[in-house]
Amino acid sequence: MELWHSHLLREKVDQSSLLVQGNRACALGALDAGVRFFAGYPITPSSEIMEAMAYELPRVGGVFIQMEDEIASICACIGASMSGWLAMTATSGPGFSLMQEAIGYAIMVEAPLVVVDVMREGPSTGRVSVPSQGDVMQARWGTHGDHPAIVLAASNVADMYRLTMAAVRFAQRFRTPVTLLSDEVVSHMRESFSPELVDRYRLTSGDFDFTPGYLNPELAREVHTPHVLGSETHPHVTGCTHDETGFPTSDAGKSEGFLRELYDKVTNHRDELCLYDMKNEGKGRVCIVAYGSCARSARAAWRLAEQEGLPVEVLHLYTLFPLPVEIIQQVARRVEFMVIPELNLGQYAREVRKLAENWTTVVGINKIGGNLITPREILDQVARLIGKYESV
Amino acid sequence: MTGTSGAPRKRTRSTLGPDAPPARSRAGLLADRDFVEVRLGGSGGQGVVLMGIILATAANHDGRCVVQTESYGPEARGGYSRSDVIIAGAPIDYPKLDNADLLVALSQDSAQGYVKSLRRNGVLIYDSEIVKNPPAFAGTSIGLPFSLWAKEETGRIQATNVVALGAVARITGVVSVQSIQEAVSEAVPAGTSEVNLKALGRGLAVDPAEWQTDQD
Repeated sequence: MELWHSHLLREKVDQSSLLVQGNRACALGALDAGVRFFAGYPITPSSEIMEAMAYELPRVGGVFIQMEDEIASICACIGASMSGWLAMTATSGPGFSLMQEAIGYAIMVEAPLVVVDVMREGPSTGRVSVPSQGDVMQARWGTHGDHPAIVLAASNVADMYRLTMAAVRFAQRFRTPVTLLSDEVVSHMRESFSPELVDRYRLTSGDFDFTPGYLNPELAREVHTPHVLGSETHPHVTGCTHDETGFPTSDAGKSEGFLRELYDKVTNHRDELCLYDMKNEGKGRVCIVAYGSCARSARAAWRLAEQEGLPVEVLHLYTLFPLPVEIIQQVARRVEFMVIPELNLGQYAREVRKLAENWTTVVGINKIGGNLITPREILDQVARLIGKYESV
Repeated sequence: MTGTSGAPRKRTRSTLGPDAPPARSRAGLLADRDFVEVRLGGSGGQGVVLMGIILATAANHDGRCVVQTESYGPEARGGYSRSDVIIAGAPIDYPKLDNADLLVALSQDSAQGYVKSLRRNGVLIYDSEIVKNPPAFAGTSIGLPFSLWAKEETGRIQATNVVALGAVARITGVVSVQSIQEAVSEAVPAGTSEVNLKALGRGLAVDPAEWQTDQD
């Protein structure tokens, strides 16, 4: 029914544009980035990623396993990652909760892997086929302890492709799990997918070394050398705080040093990790800060605002964590209001407020009923804030 | 109107490459609208989501920008099911329907429930075999016996959605005839292409005299 084969998709894409579902684009991005291991457990609205991987991976020499649950899925991915495979799993909120303990383990043993969380209404089973952005803070703080997190958010089908690639790249480079957040709308929608895009983001084998021996000399102090199971060295891998030998340490100084290194290897590279897009830069009194499907509403609201003469900027964030501190503070210094539309009760607005409240007023627009925030709703709020009631 | 106002990048033939086919001609009630929002409604199991995929694929073949979304209840059969397709000349920001230009209803509930989302100058097309009490609608309202035609033409009531698509392409022109034919043969399961193209042909063969009697 839909195109399964990525090589077939590639041929088609080279000719003209194609209609691709968000989840399929994610699977395609993963395959193009070199992911060759997928373990998962199906859950709406992420199942199509797994379905596509089940079909594709055996054809490209990869391994696909359906596990008995999400805990087993992520543990299989960690095992694969430690033995040299580039691994990925995909789930939704309930499954993501189950994975949290093991994500902490992956951070501790520095296993690169990608977790895709397609958000649906929660908590618990919630409603399976409606969008939400309720897992933002779970993606940041779901596992225990002080830890780094790299969290990306996709807003359209093209993002699902290129951000999956970016997630793989970040995971490899920083040797840590990377979470890609999507939601039901972005994952289930089908959209025209243009050929230029694939070319622009296609990685060649020379761009990155997908074997886990990858080590950037500049990162040598911050990123630990990888432990590869099955190699001639016999690494010791443990979730206990360990020293450079890989064995547990009870030395307070070493512990603190190691944990800080884990944290710093991510937060010291914000410049590289923070992806965003700015519209109408420097021309607005109000900046709409948005991510995921809300960013689409924000862009549409900006186009409406242009017609109605309202001074609006849009900051579209692709990276939620590590926090894009610099761009948020830069914008906060010049605008009167920051409006943050979210399909949750203000999870990310709280983070932005902490960074921006010295300079500007942060206002949330929140919806948790499963409907998207409309461009008109955003614009009404903007108009109210700058006192132009006539546009309502 | 939300979504593609302003002056975003137009999708032109040149961006599709030198080998892109020439623009396909479309004719019908909605053919001249640059931004068209279509809602397809029915109950689970009728193939409403597949209808949306086929319509969106056809619009993509026409060289237009398209976003297709879907919404359904947890049931495998029964319950509500709906698919929204936005077709435009430029990239689409807001992916959900604002107001529909066209509603295709394959069940009484969806006709009744979604008629509110139609623009005043929109078009309502429904299966007159199933929707026995068509809702009051001031715009163009067209009832055609899709499920009856599907049974007559193919012997299978499952082909109703494809018959309806044919009629939609013919009456509204939101997609070209050539593109919908290609999209149907690409989308249906292997081995059913012939039956489905037959069903599509029945829809495409709808005679203006058959449906125009329904208005004023």
